[in-house]
Amino acid sequence: MSSSKNHVVEVVGVSKSYISGGREVEVLKDISFEVGREFVSIIGPSGCGKSTLLRIIAGVEKPSGGRVIFNLNRKPIIGFVFQFPTLLPWMTVLDNVILPLIATGMQKSNAIEKARMTLKVVGLGGFEDFYPSELSGGMKQRVNIARALAIEPDVLLMDEPFSNLDPLTAESLRSEVLDIWLSSILPVKSIIMVTHNVEEAVIMSDKVIILSPRPTRVLKIVDVNIPRPRSRKMPEVQEMVDKVYEYVS
Amino acid sequence: MNPGELTLELTLSTLLSLGRMLAAYMLSLILAIVTGVAMARNKYVESILLPILDVLQSIPILGFFPAVLAVFVTTLGPVAGGELSSIFLITTSLVWNMIFGVYSSIKSLDSSIDHLVAVYKLPLIHRFLYIYLPASKSSIAANSIISWAGGWFFLTSAEVISMGRVEYRLKGLGSFIIKAFEEGSTIAYTTGLIALFMVILVSYLIIWNPFTMKYTGTRTLLGFMKAYDVIDKALSKTWGFIVEKVVAAYNVVARVKIKSTHIIICSILPLLLYQYHTRLALDNSLYSKILEYGVDFLRVAPRTLIRVYLVVVTGLAVSILLAYISHTRLKLGKIMVMSGEVLSSIPAMMWWPILLPLLKGFPQCVMMFVYLQGSLWYVFFNVLIFGLSSLRESIIELSEIYNVKGRLYLSRIFIPSLLPSIIAGGLSASGGAWNASIAAEYIVLGGLTVDMGGVGSLLNKQAQAGDVLGVLSTSFFMSLVVVFINKMIWARILGKIRGYYVVE
Repeated sequence: MSSSKNHVVEVVGVSKSYISGGREVEVLKDISFEVGREFVSIIGPSGCGKSTLLRIIAGVEKPSGGRVIFNLNRKPIIGFVFQFPTLLPWMTVLDNVILPLIATGMQKSNAIEKARMTLKVVGLGGFEDFYPSELSGGMKQRVNIARALAIEPDVLLMDEPFSNLDPLTAESLRSEVLDIWLSSILPVKSIIMVTHNVEEAVIMSDKVIILSPRPTRVLKIVDVNIPRPRSRKMPEVQEMVDKVYEYVS
Repeated sequence: MNPGELTLELTLSTLLSLGRMLAAYMLSLILAIVTGVAMARNKYVESILLPILDVLQSIPILGFFPAVLAVFVTTLGPVAGGELSSIFLITTSLVWNMIFGVYSSIKSLDSSIDHLVAVYKLPLIHRFLYIYLPASKSSIAANSIISWAGGWFFLTSAEVISMGRVEYRLKGLGSFIIKAFEEGSTIAYTTGLIALFMVILVSYLIIWNPFTMKYTGTRTLLGFMKAYDVIDKALSKTWGFIVEKVVAAYNVVARVKIKSTHIIICSILPLLLYQYHTRLALDNSLYSKILEYGVDFLRVAPRTLIRVYLVVVTGLAVSILLAYISHTRLKLGKIMVMSGEVLSSIPAMMWWPILLPLLKGFPQCVMMFVYLQGSLWYVFFNVLIFGLSSLRESIIELSEIYNVKGRLYLSRIFIPSLLPSIIAGGLSASGGAWNASIAAEYIVLGGLTVDMGGVGSLLNKQAQAGDVLGVLSTSFFMSLVVVFINKMIWARILGKIRGYYVVE
């Protein structure tokens, strides 16, 4: 095993079960993997517990067994991109983005400055005073991403972030997220994304973790060593997509 | 009284009543927010407070008399105690639907917001200021309309507090009008009524209606938006300043971590200890006395029960009809709601002198009218504010495309769409009608006594005789019946309907 110092996140023997109708249902079983300074996708069939795993990594849900270790020598800062934008309708775009910042005790003026900068990065400069109801689906998801990036997270968790967008918007947002990640303008060390979309996983990630149906285990970890920028037309990408599909199906 | 004295007296009385109403509203607002949020976010608090509130909201205003007299007047004296009693009594007619409004808005918040709160670890104070308060704004607005009317409706009862030989008559608009009537002063009586109308009208036109329109999106109300915007801007600025300071102060003391459950336990514990030390020794004679009151109650309850449900059914029919008219003719609808707001706010006791000419020949009609006053408006506002705004644009378009009109539209689209708010209104209206029985079944005006029998009349006579135990027992039995009917009938219907009548 490689040195744990290179790993930002270590998921060690995580399992999760719950009681339903008097019976114990096992969702996750002994899940282990490491995430370095890289973009990792988690892929698997519906209902296999991908989102639960992401919530466990975020510290929102407790595992029944195992643990998640962050090698940062301090409490990790986590950004979370929800599947649905989850914007508070009574707040402007700017107020939605600064909410997590002021929750950390940051001065409002600093929070506003950071939020404005992040909104510009996701292409929403000039929309600060808009309300969520005035935005399109893609713009709302951009605010969701900006909110996650504004807190300058060590680890960015994304739960099927493009699944509810039309194909064109999803495509452009994917490349924007990749640009932000690759340009290193924000101090994000690792990105973990849950997705259903194999092609999306291959194009975006350095590593794809494939999960089995319930009780869910890690079926295979595939390293995607394809040079960037990638496109779906590249033969290596097609080949890799086929390879991942084989495991998934 | 010369015109100068009359004007001074009337102005002072109006200001005092308005001050009491505002104080009671502020108190209700704070209680509603704190209790509503605590109940919605903490299942222990919810399981304890929900049944207690169900009982409390069904206690008639007279049922609180012995308690306020004992707590406020005996400890603080008649002046400060009287004022506090009055504010407390008005609060008992304002607060319940506001609490339930806040509770249900927070309860129905999307679960993804809980997720957001957990992921970004928002502290309680941030959740409160940035999520729970804004989320309950529209329900506070809509419920304020109902509460404000409820407060004025029982104003005279809260300004003339009498229990046996003890009577505390506070200077105010309610007591001013009653006194003018008793003294036969037509000028004072008429100007008093006009002042009352004006205060109610203005408060709705520049505050409550624009407030509700702004935050619920309803279009069926009349209001001066520009005047309100000035108030809203000033309030928003002040509120923004307060929020900023509170958050800054919180950040300073954030290291001291106290969980909300600890605060609740700490505040309830002394109460429980006090209860334990001052336990009432109930002996057998007390039990048999309460039993006797129970028999008295059962003897008169059927009469009130029939009246209550007659009134509720009438209220439902009238409200649906008015809502339909509002829906099809917006301008007419706006005028109707405005008239409803003024009519519903007129204190119950005022109706008796206003309808005096009818009283000799048709006391039943006057009684039913007062009953209707205390009940109809709950359905009316529920249907017109919550119901009509929930009528989906797409459903209206659908009926236009397929040419669904007239009776078919009413029975297949309009009423089913409004059903949840019709039933929710019916639930509140039945409680309101029981409480209105106090004002509808018995009245003493100068030398004239009208006694129509029933639970309300029994309560009035017990209060007049200074029978504290009687008032408490009858109020208790009455709230038992109300809670029982609410739980067994209304809540069940509402539960079923909410499941079926959701437009996807």
